[in-house]
Amino acid sequence: MGEEGELIKTVNLTKVYPDGTVALKGVDFDVQKGEIHGLLGENGAGKTTLTKILSGILKPTAGEIHVRNEKVTMKRPQDGLALGIGMVHQHFALVRRFTAFENIVLGTKVNPAGRKADTTKKQIEDLSSRLGLKVPLDELVENLSLGVQQRVEIIKMLYRNVDLLILDEPTSSLTPTESDELFKTLKKLKNEGRGIIFITHKLREVMENCDRITVLRQGQVSGRTDAGQVDPRTLARMMVGRDVVLELSRPPFSPGDVILAVRELTVLNNSGEEVVEQVSLSVRRGEIFGIAGVEGNGQTELAEAISGVKPLAKGQISLAGNDISHASPNLVRRSGAALIPEDRRFMGLVTEMTVAENTILGKQREKQFRSGYFTIAWKKVNNFTNSLIARFGIVTQGPKSVVKSMSGGNQQKLVVSRELSSEPDFILASQPTRGLDVASTEYMRKLLLQLRGANKGVLLISSDLDEIFQLADTIGVMYEGKLIDVVSSEGLTRDKIGLLMGGVKE
Amino acid sequence: MRLSRVFTPAFLSSLTESVFAGAVGFVVGGLVLWVLGYNPLSTFYYLLQGSVGSPTNFSVTLNNAAPLILTAICFAIGLRAGLFNIGAEGQVYVGAAAAVAVAFFSLPVGLHLALSIIVAGAAGALWSLPAFLLKASRGVNEVISTIMLNWLGFYSILWVSLNWLVDPNRSEKTISVPATMRFPDLLGGAGISSAILFSVLIAFGYYGYLWLTPSGYELRAVGLNPDAARFGGIAPKKALLSAFALGGFASGIAGAIQVAGRGPPYAIYTTLGNVQNFGFNGIGVSLIGKNHPVAIILAGIFFGALQAGATNVQLYARVPYEIVQVIEGIIVVAIAAPDILKKIRGLGK
Repeated sequence: MGEEGELIKTVNLTKVYPDGTVALKGVDFDVQKGEIHGLLGENGAGKTTLTKILSGILKPTAGEIHVRNEKVTMKRPQDGLALGIGMVHQHFALVRRFTAFENIVLGTKVNPAGRKADTTKKQIEDLSSRLGLKVPLDELVENLSLGVQQRVEIIKMLYRNVDLLILDEPTSSLTPTESDELFKTLKKLKNEGRGIIFITHKLREVMENCDRITVLRQGQVSGRTDAGQVDPRTLARMMVGRDVVLELSRPPFSPGDVILAVRELTVLNNSGEEVVEQVSLSVRRGEIFGIAGVEGNGQTELAEAISGVKPLAKGQISLAGNDISHASPNLVRRSGAALIPEDRRFMGLVTEMTVAENTILGKQREKQFRSGYFTIAWKKVNNFTNSLIARFGIVTQGPKSVVKSMSGGNQQKLVVSRELSSEPDFILASQPTRGLDVASTEYMRKLLLQLRGANKGVLLISSDLDEIFQLADTIGVMYEGKLIDVVSSEGLTRDKIGLLMGGVKE
Repeated sequence: MRLSRVFTPAFLSSLTESVFAGAVGFVVGGLVLWVLGYNPLSTFYYLLQGSVGSPTNFSVTLNNAAPLILTAICFAIGLRAGLFNIGAEGQVYVGAAAAVAVAFFSLPVGLHLALSIIVAGAAGALWSLPAFLLKASRGVNEVISTIMLNWLGFYSILWVSLNWLVDPNRSEKTISVPATMRFPDLLGGAGISSAILFSVLIAFGYYGYLWLTPSGYELRAVGLNPDAARFGGIAPKKALLSAFALGGFASGIAGAIQVAGRGPPYAIYTTLGNVQNFGFNGIGVSLIGKNHPVAIILAGIFFGALQAGATNVQLYARVPYEIVQVIEGIIVVAIAAPDILKKIRGLGK
């Protein structure tokens, strides 16, 4: 074992973002030398904010940071590096057209083509062979697999003499073998006396590889434990909590016919990997089918495949009896679907256009908005827009104001109002309340319940577990592209869902 | 179309900004002249005199502006669809040659001109198609493909002019288009061709297309956010086809105007000297006009005036033509700068 002692400690750390979001509330956290410390939490729990503060990328609103028992103030990432703190981000920060070696020395005083380059290369080779981090130094990064790219990132940090290494979701893009190798390396680093912060949502990984675990929930520490003395059930409970923010009344569940049927759907990402694998599900009228799961487990691609944005590799999707497996978004809508995309600013709206222009996106050729053969009757469009503004309580200066200037909640209402204006039978809602304030969130959730009451089928994809619990009649959990379980929400405990979200099926 | 729809407060404030930026450009240009030892005041006097000082000079300004407005619209409609289409240059050559080809037929007044305009526009649109096809099928960047098409157009039309369209009696030019195919001069006898009115009409037509038709709406939506457009059920490729084809159509007509709306020679010089640079200058005009078809009319006239005045400055203020072009460049950059700065700032977000 390496030397004992405290590497970093935070006292009462608080972060409030300029838009008023409280990301961290009074967090006390510490990492000792020679320790792998697991940091666990759902999306938005504050994990990333905490590590960004620790590495000097963000400044805390209040609270103190002590490094090796000395109070420090960091203003930029370089300050963190100077103190020996380095972060490997989930999405690597490598120059793809540079070699591994060039990337490692980038930003240092070493000239990769200079006279001293060979000496430096030798140093790096020694370092990597000692730790078992084999990297072809002269290969272009774009030719390296994600696992090897990650090694380049780690060596980059170690070459800068970092002794607190922060890894954000390091296994999310690795194969199981690559993950095992990563953990071997981390153990070697730990034995050299370095500290490691390991961020993840995978319960098994933290239990098997970490010394201590800190769990964050809604910006606060909800649990601290030694890894050896904890079972996954307890961890899951710490992670998802028990509090329900809003209480909504849900009329009894009385489902009708199947409206959406997905059979053995497989979707590939751009590099040809299966990101949705053999998913089958059916949504009935009068039902809210909730899909839970930590983000990045295939939910986005599932929604895109149903919407007709992403082609499917295998399987079949039918809506109200029509095969929409290969339909365009327009055809999916015409078969009776409302599509609320996950990313309203990039998918749902053309934010530089006006409110009126956005309300007819996809309906611009409909007869109701024509005057004569060729032209759009903007007067009719404006009347239509005003009716939506009134019906959905959208706060805006009027049909002619630009969408960019509206708040997130009102932008979302605008998307929803447009999608619901064609009286659909099925609603696909992806992350419908993400980034919205409490009032808008409540509005959206009530609206989804109203739609359920009006005997429409709703497929709700949400990484917000509260939302799933409040709204869904049936819950499916996605983990690594598979729908690992589908259960009724009646009598379901959060612990069980938490376990499933962490990939543990009992 | 009500004018209040076109001249919105946003349009007017944008116009004020341009006028102010243009004034700054004149001051900076003046300073450069002064440093180089020329008299800025007399330079600007002769610039003004040469462009609007007499009915004849003004006719040069407007005749310069007519094709520039159309090539600017070609660039603007591309930009509205998210394209950087610089193919107008080659499309002008092709359009001009197509118009001359129509001159070989005998047709009645009116019909002859109308046919030549349509044929020239169609030829320009056709010339833009390879760029669309390459982009849609192989993802080839339109900057590369349109530059290549420009050179292809240059040498093809050079060959066609020398071999097929050439005037048997005067080999320095193609045959001149007959009187039945010429744009009539406007009343007043100053030699102002009615081509300018036609260009203005087309500019309003493109405005109407972009803001009043579903197809124009789709084109703008694709240009601003292709993902949202696709999600909304718009086919981005269809919008790109419209942008390329309509842009080529406008540039082709610019070529027709240059032969049928401007005499002498009412022909193409077999060096292509009198149909060159309209495409490239059109980019500048579009930028000054903030890629808005109606503002482009004003920008085109402004640019036409700078060109008309340049010769006068050279003659009377004794400033070399190259220096005049530098000064005009400074003015154009000053006017386009606020928009370019906004774009750069927008990229950081």
